[in-house]
Amino acid sequence: MSTLALSELLGLTVYDSTGASSGRVHEVALAPQEDRSKISVLIVKTSSGNRLLPIGAVSAINGGVRASSALGDWVLADGAEGLLLLSRDLLDQQVIDVHGRKVVRVNDVDFHHDTGLGGPLLKVGGVDVGARGAVRRLLKGVVPASALRALLHRIPPREIPWDFVDIIETDPARRVKLKISHERLARLHPADIADIIEDLAPDEREAVFETLDEGVAADAMEELQPKVQKAVVESLDNDRAADIVEEMEPDAAADLLADLSEERTAEILVQMQPEERQEVTELLEFRENTAAGRMTTEYIALPVAATTSDAIDAMRSFEGRMENMSTIFLVDSRETLVGAVPLAKIVLAPHATPMLGLAQEPLISSHEDAHDKEFAELFDKYNLLTLPVIDHQNRLKGVITPDDVINMLRSKL
Amino acid sequence: MKFLRRWKIQILLILAVVGPGFITANVDNDANGILTYSQAGAQFGYLLLWTMIPTTIALIVVQEMCARMGAVTGKGLSDLIREEYGLRITFLMMLGILITNFGNVVGEFVGIAGSMGLFGVPKYIAVPICAVIVWLIAVKGQYKSVEKVFLAASFFYVTYVVAGLLAKPAWIVAIKATMKPPSFSTFHGPYLYMVIGVVGTTIAPWMQFYLQSSIVEKGVTRRQYKASRWDVIVGCIFTDVVAWFIIVACAATLYVHDIRDIRDAADAAQSLGPLAGQWASLLFALGLFNASLFAASILPLSTAYTVCEGLGFESGVERKFSEAPVFYWLYTILIAAGAAVVMIPGLPLIKIAVFSQVVNGAVLPFVLIFMLLLINKKELMGEYVNKPLFNIIAWATTVIMIGLTVVYVYGQVRGTN
Repeated sequence: MSTLALSELLGLTVYDSTGASSGRVHEVALAPQEDRSKISVLIVKTSSGNRLLPIGAVSAINGGVRASSALGDWVLADGAEGLLLLSRDLLDQQVIDVHGRKVVRVNDVDFHHDTGLGGPLLKVGGVDVGARGAVRRLLKGVVPASALRALLHRIPPREIPWDFVDIIETDPARRVKLKISHERLARLHPADIADIIEDLAPDEREAVFETLDEGVAADAMEELQPKVQKAVVESLDNDRAADIVEEMEPDAAADLLADLSEERTAEILVQMQPEERQEVTELLEFRENTAAGRMTTEYIALPVAATTSDAIDAMRSFEGRMENMSTIFLVDSRETLVGAVPLAKIVLAPHATPMLGLAQEPLISSHEDAHDKEFAELFDKYNLLTLPVIDHQNRLKGVITPDDVINMLRSKL
Repeated sequence: MKFLRRWKIQILLILAVVGPGFITANVDNDANGILTYSQAGAQFGYLLLWTMIPTTIALIVVQEMCARMGAVTGKGLSDLIREEYGLRITFLMMLGILITNFGNVVGEFVGIAGSMGLFGVPKYIAVPICAVIVWLIAVKGQYKSVEKVFLAASFFYVTYVVAGLLAKPAWIVAIKATMKPPSFSTFHGPYLYMVIGVVGTTIAPWMQFYLQSSIVEKGVTRRQYKASRWDVIVGCIFTDVVAWFIIVACAATLYVHDIRDIRDAADAAQSLGPLAGQWASLLFALGLFNASLFAASILPLSTAYTVCEGLGFESGVERKFSEAPVFYWLYTILIAAGAAVVMIPGLPLIKIAVFSQVVNGAVLPFVLIFMLLLINKKELMGEYVNKPLFNIIAWATTVIMIGLTVVYVYGQVRGTN
């Protein structure tokens, strides 16, 4: 097995079965529907137009491409439906390096070259994003081939294995035909996905957000800078935007919608599920710089008489985020806040201990209208993990978590 | 009420995008600009004023194209060249830009050396210290906070307007010279050289890369770019009004007193004499120092970004040195080498600064050709491709600049001036 680079393959003379020089390699293409890495056809530029030469009809690649069929048998390449064209779609373009978690530019594409029984087998090994590919392409045809080869051997390769390459395609129809999805990207941490998205151009961001699963898209959306967040939502259609906003934490969703125009906010809200819509709408009514504007409405509140077993049952059926369970609240029949029990106390207490006995003293809470600065001070003073927010009748309305405070502080840096 | 609200939103919209265009225009009047315009006025009096109107129109068109490309594609100019024209062309382009911009960086340090010289600080002390300051401003991520200071200090340019008014120039002659180019016989060697320099300093190649990146960085989108357009237009007109007054002020002071060759900053400072009398050199020194330091903090950084983005190296001051070594080395070498050149004893510094602007003028058409090819691509720009009028103006600028350069070089080779 040897390696071959795309830039070495492009421009090679193609000889047909009669041995006549018939044209030059113009493109190298994959058919992702069939195989994600095996080269399926070469597009040959001949005097009678561009023609498709299936890789099965190639008998050898050695300084030139030798075909086992005659020029007349190669069909004309009109359009390249369903083909990923390596030179056009990949060379010099930006791709996502899922392993390195960043956006990189492709200098060359490396193939594994196997001479099997039925002729050569070409598989994409990875994309070259380092100096080696760049130097090869810059100096090809400028310095003698042997000198270039010797020089290239001295340059350490910087290659991203093909399995870690995520291609960005902005045309939705082509995305489907080429089976471009972002499965591997989706497995990264939402914060890493957000960093990558911030490095892309607007159309590319939109393309990624349209393909990601709603849950992943929502998590990544929360991590984006507000400016980028707004731009992305504005570029999505209402339906898709609503699907993503629904999956977001209600407080983050409300912050995002508050930045959009009233019209757009209304259009997105209409498309949302009634339950989520109501939560977000309630939050939207609060001013952004108050405790109520920062809080989330996803928390666990139990009756005063509850025991630790009830609490554990409630946690098991809780659908919100893990970090929102770090404190369990106790409320009376009128929703008045009575106590707050940290998760650690519940875990350490014997089975079925009454919760009220575990409640923290003093009970710290913040008023809905409290300003940013006030609740940030409470967090600092009492080293809080969560801060309950109450209304004028002392009813529990929501919870502020440390990430809300950190976000608020960072935006003021 | 509704009207009031809409009006408020409009103002906010404009304020939100006022920035990239206006800042770029301000940096355009850098040390190289001030020195080139001064030399133009000193050497040829009012004879170069006619270039101002066509240059302003071309500048507006070219900058608007950059802003539009940035807003529509969300990508920098060097990214676009790379994606559409491949590695080899990009490499050559980046090499050309690197050399051209290096000349400009040298010019900024010429400005620093000259202005500090007027304060009595020798360049061997001032230049290295300022080089370190400039380096630190970017590496420590302090550029944004310093930018406001620079912008505010740019108010200095107004002094040129006042100085021009007080110098009692021959208004009628000046206005006539602005409207009508001189006779064909004027276009000989040194005059041609100056025309290329004046256009090259006004429409500098680096500005196009810088403006487009700033628009992308700011996140200006298709919807908002109408407001950016005003930002660009206002900025360009402001720049060129100042340029016009610099030429007039120098024509009315230096030229009439037969100081035809500016050899150091002290010569150029005399143009502010009618305004500030004995304080002229102090005022000039302050203004020149601010302009030089402002541009010196932008140019090397912008160049490093442009080159790294085009060639696919990691870039950005938010990354660590080990993560983006090429970026940091380029940036550091540009500053260090630029400062080093200025410290070589006995060099004709002002001539070097003017020469760097002539190189700008000669390189400009190549940048324009790529911009024109890119902005007329439907698959890239969609409905935002250039309108015919813009194409005509930008192509005309390209052709004229190539023509002027060819005629000048041909004249030099043949030795006929």
